[in-house]
Amino acid sequence: MFGLNKIIPVEPNINFLGLRRNFLIFSILAMLISIVLLSIKGLNLGIDFKGGTLIEVSTKNTSIGELRDILSSSYSDVSLQEFGNEDIILIRLQNKSNQESIETVNSVKNLIQDKVVEFRRSEFVGPTISSELLLRGFQAVSFALIAILIYIWLRFEWQFGFGAVVALTHDVLFTLGLLSILNVEFSLATIAAILTIAGYSINDTVVIFDRVRENLRKYKKLELVDLFNLSVNNTLSRTIMTSLTTLLALVSLFIFGGEVIRPFALTMIIGVIIGTYSSVFIAVPTLLIFKFRPQDEDD
Amino acid sequence: MKNYPIWKSFTVISLVLLGIIFAIPSIIYDENSENWFLKNKINLGLDLQGGSYLLLEVQLDVLYKEELDNFVDSIRLISRDESVKIEKIDIQENEVVVFFSNKEKIKDIRDSFFQMYRGVSLQISNNRLSIKLNDEYRKIIQDSAIKQSLEIVRKRIDESGTKEPLIQRSGKKRILLQLPGVKDPERIKDLLGKTAKLTFHIVDNENTSALQNNLAPFGKIIVPDMYDENTKYLLDKRAVVGGENLVDAKGSFDQTEGHAVSFRFDTEGAQKFGKVTTNNIGNNLAVVLDGVVITAPRISSAITGGSGIITGNFNAQEASDLAVLLRAGALPAPLEIVEERSVGAGLGADSIAAGQIAAIIGMVLVCIFMILIYGIFGALANVSLIVNLFIIISLLGTIGATLTLPGIAGIVLTIGMAVDANVLIFERIKEESLKQTKVFQIVKNGFDRAMSTILDANITTLIAAVLLFAFGSGPIRGFSITLSLGVIASMFTALMLTNFLVYLYLSISNKKELKL
Repeated sequence: MFGLNKIIPVEPNINFLGLRRNFLIFSILAMLISIVLLSIKGLNLGIDFKGGTLIEVSTKNTSIGELRDILSSSYSDVSLQEFGNEDIILIRLQNKSNQESIETVNSVKNLIQDKVVEFRRSEFVGPTISSELLLRGFQAVSFALIAILIYIWLRFEWQFGFGAVVALTHDVLFTLGLLSILNVEFSLATIAAILTIAGYSINDTVVIFDRVRENLRKYKKLELVDLFNLSVNNTLSRTIMTSLTTLLALVSLFIFGGEVIRPFALTMIIGVIIGTYSSVFIAVPTLLIFKFRPQDEDD
Repeated sequence: MKNYPIWKSFTVISLVLLGIIFAIPSIIYDENSENWFLKNKINLGLDLQGGSYLLLEVQLDVLYKEELDNFVDSIRLISRDESVKIEKIDIQENEVVVFFSNKEKIKDIRDSFFQMYRGVSLQISNNRLSIKLNDEYRKIIQDSAIKQSLEIVRKRIDESGTKEPLIQRSGKKRILLQLPGVKDPERIKDLLGKTAKLTFHIVDNENTSALQNNLAPFGKIIVPDMYDENTKYLLDKRAVVGGENLVDAKGSFDQTEGHAVSFRFDTEGAQKFGKVTTNNIGNNLAVVLDGVVITAPRISSAITGGSGIITGNFNAQEASDLAVLLRAGALPAPLEIVEERSVGAGLGADSIAAGQIAAIIGMVLVCIFMILIYGIFGALANVSLIVNLFIIISLLGTIGATLTLPGIAGIVLTIGMAVDANVLIFERIKEESLKQTKVFQIVKNGFDRAMSTILDANITTLIAAVLLFAFGSGPIRGFSITLSLGVIASMFTALMLTNFLVYLYLSISNKKELKL
């Protein structure tokens, strides 16, 4: 129609694997930095995983400073933050026990009653629950990775499963590292985002692997590096197209979806970019470790 | 239509129509409709319609400790009957160890005790009897406590006027509450935060030294006043009558006493109450609620009618809330709120509006992009994408799933990912078109070759979504539901609807060559 698809050639011939060393070094560095960041700086844990109380209010004729003055006279560990616009304020408190929280919410409400138009939400997560949620989140991510590995293993040869898991681990670590740098709040929704990223990244990887497998059967004589390059090139326009449409939807969610969902959308955007990158530059080169040919001759 | 079986066209068209028709109730969204068809609409989660989610934990430790105390009382009574002296009683976390002065009758004592508490572990060694709360016994206590608590919580919530609450057991010792549309969660939390154990005790005014030393003799307890911690009462440990004998309680107003709670006993309660008040004229009767004395009036005359009022420094709301608690009955053990998420209706409405805008803009962007890249084929894929959205909505409505804010995010994400299957197919068609010229063969090969890739790619996403459902809680489950439905619907729309539309387009346009 408009011929825009001609921008991506039908049979592109870009030497992706020629650059693999550079990208491998980049990714290893990125993962190492992520690990260091996660162990030193850590993640900005939200109340889901840290426990505590959160109250969102919409206010009138007041400022965040005034509210802070009122509340900090009664609570030493209160933190306030504008949320989207200057009338909406998030109040966070760290509670020591479950019982305390009920009284806290009540007394905070009483203290700022006359400055507030609406109490938009209040959340409290007790210490036992927050550690349970963290454990379950961790379990969900690990089981998902294992289940995906098993599926790939059943559908492909095990070498592909190895490549996929290397790529997935890379994606999860890299994304967490960026979340740590950007200080994005880590909540239950982030766990959902990371699992979806895992699903998305593997989806991308599977499409390329599918093509690698097909080409392995088709071109028996081709050098492995060239064959992998060909497979990446074959699927390149799909890889780019799907990432772009997904990113379009996510950017729309990031901009228009509201303040509560923004960290989720941001995490997804980061993850989709990393996942797309890793399918091409991590998952496929990892396959080069293995010698596929001797097995193929058995077919 | 050439090359396309009629039954297949029929199936595709009917499924698409069903998808659109069943999306209607959710799109109209008439909240109060009783119409059987319009009732099949999406349930909005608490984060979208406003309301409170509460997770309560039954404080079983309190019950276990109470049971150990009961053991001690019973063993004292039994040994008194058997005239055996107790040297020492050791109460540990999980067991009571009783040291007797001689060991002759210890077996009889054990047997009598076992008659009263079947299932406990009893062990004799020399002059020592140890009574242990074993796991089975604890489980019995636990199960009956949770069952009772559920019932009482349900009654209290019903009395509070909350519509359509969801109350269920969650795990071993927790109760989950979903209260849609609750405006004042603090009041609900207050109602649930009280055990509401009401008992009536005779006050011992003679033994003043016990109060001074703050040491209650056997059979007595020291209880503080509700309004003044320093005022203490020495009471008979045994209650004359308790809240379980109440049949009614309501807030009332008395000219001289102010706001009060009037109550009525059942026949058994009325008899007990009448007997005790007859025998104790001149003494004080303490009304004890959750371990504090509300009031302790002097009994001036026998009360045989079985009704009375409790006065305290109540205001109207407090009196009526206390009446609610007394009507619903006492909780077997205190409940602790371990998690709360309350959302006001304003934020919920904002979230829905923002989600809709994000979905529409995301949709428009993706559609424009598809047309720019694939031209007329892109437009066909867009039709599939829109139908896909309708199918997700109608599936959510018919299976009665709950749409949450993360759920909306899942839908928007699906819009971006759903075109993937179409893209895979179109890219295959593009490749095939370089190899041969027969238009229908190109299309057929394109779809066939893309099929296994589409399945593989989508199943991995489904795995992640299913695990998220298994391990996630509340709103996050909403995300995994919409994502799963979106992935499944996108496979159908790409492999069947886009397929149908492409064949239809090629038949009508009668194209001799295909260029994507």
